[in-house]
Amino acid sequence: MKEMLDTALSSENTILIQKTLRSGQSIKHSGNVVILGDVNPGAEVVAGGHVVVMGAVRGMVHAGAFGDENATVTAFCLNPIQLRICNYITRIPDGNHPEPTEPETARIINQGIVIENISLQGNRLF
Amino acid sequence: MGEVLVITSGKGGVGKTTATANIGTGLALMGKKIVMVDTDIGLRNLDVVMGLENRIVYDIVDVVQGNCRLKQALIKDKRFENMYLLPAAQTKDKTAVSEEQMKNLSDNLKTEFDYIVIDCPAGIEQGFKNAIAGAEKAVVVTTPEVSAVRDADRIVGLLESSGLREPKLIINRIRPQMVKKGDMMSMEDIIEILAVDLLGVVPDDESVVVSTNRGEPAVMDKASRAGQAFRNISQRITGEEIPLMNLEANSGWLEKIKRWVTKS
Amino acid sequence: MNLLEFLNRFFGRDNGASKDVAKERLRLVLVHDRVNISPQVVEALKEDLISVINKYMEIDQASLEVSLNSSDGTMALVANIPVLGIRRGA
Repeated sequence: MKEMLDTALSSENTILIQKTLRSGQSIKHSGNVVILGDVNPGAEVVAGGHVVVMGAVRGMVHAGAFGDENATVTAFCLNPIQLRICNYITRIPDGNHPEPTEPETARIINQGIVIENISLQGNRLF
Repeated sequence: MGEVLVITSGKGGVGKTTATANIGTGLALMGKKIVMVDTDIGLRNLDVVMGLENRIVYDIVDVVQGNCRLKQALIKDKRFENMYLLPAAQTKDKTAVSEEQMKNLSDNLKTEFDYIVIDCPAGIEQGFKNAIAGAEKAVVVTTPEVSAVRDADRIVGLLESSGLREPKLIINRIRPQMVKKGDMMSMEDIIEILAVDLLGVVPDDESVVVSTNRGEPAVMDKASRAGQAFRNISQRITGEEIPLMNLEANSGWLEKIKRWVTKS
Repeated sequence: MNLLEFLNRFFGRDNGASKDVAKERLRLVLVHDRVNISPQVVEALKEDLISVINKYMEIDQASLEVSLNSSDGTMALVANIPVLGIRRGA
């Protein structure tokens, strides 16, 4: 986790949001975005770089929105309605599924968005 | 050429979005090619009622502002090939779209679809004006409450003065037992006051809550009374003559048990 | 609520059915809503009234009042026009 944060925060162009984003609210930033709160359904975060959410993601997050394939999305509870990295889009599968209980990171691996535990043990593909 | 239908009410919470989802799906069940348009910009809900919220990439504002092509923003339903949704934007406001743009959009959609069902926002401000701008026919949804009927009357007046003559009425959430007791206005009472044609009466039905939870419109549930009412309404919209359903049926204890047994 | 009322209610024989109350209240409210005239229209009406009355009488234009009132479900246009004098030869 620390290593992840270090890379995400290494760029100077990072903003810190200290609140929960509610439905209808949106954050657009050219660099990295760190949120101390949740991203609720109907809210959106669009970042040029990485997105780190110290809370639950239940809305829409778009990392690397201007073409950065190395951008990642990390959250304590990564359960977005839709997740976009660069120009890849993925969505939660239809039907019921449990919310993740551990922090996870989403990144592009082999032309697809892959979500894995931050411990990097075991993969979870959408 | 398709037909553009706007579902409106004035008052919020009377069931416009539920009615839009069910009428749209009802028409799709009949094999019509339909598109539902959510015009409640900033407070979109039709996508979640239809269970399509995770497929949205572009929305109506992207279309009218030229950020994408119309085809890119249309979301194909997961159950019906012939049903599409054009979602509202959530992070913008109602001034992002103009009446002229809405009219052009409706004209474009008309060449592709048999029916365009527009979900109108509550209120009588810009959002309402946008929603009705491209419409050819209007459906007013009300419930048997003084507040909802009063707002419906206001809407009927506004629709008429914008050239949408003879709007049709849906009375939602009727509770036959309360009507019988004289503690709820009946459909006759409401029709008498509003003096408009009735399109249908929908009973208050718990199955609507359940189907909304699941993102599956009640019309798809064969056992749902409200679903039946909306299937009838959809058929009437296509011009079929369908008698009003008997709201009293299935309300006795014997019928209740029957229904319970057939359900399980 | 006395016992009789309670029993009536219990057996669904409430005479003052609340839907009738609702209907009556709605009717009254709608009478108002439907004749809802915009301030511009009232202003235009006022102008026209002044020009017509001015032909025959001298009136106090500043304190002229025009309003729509209602009582017992009927609407009335009430105009209060102070007359200063009659024009001769009218």
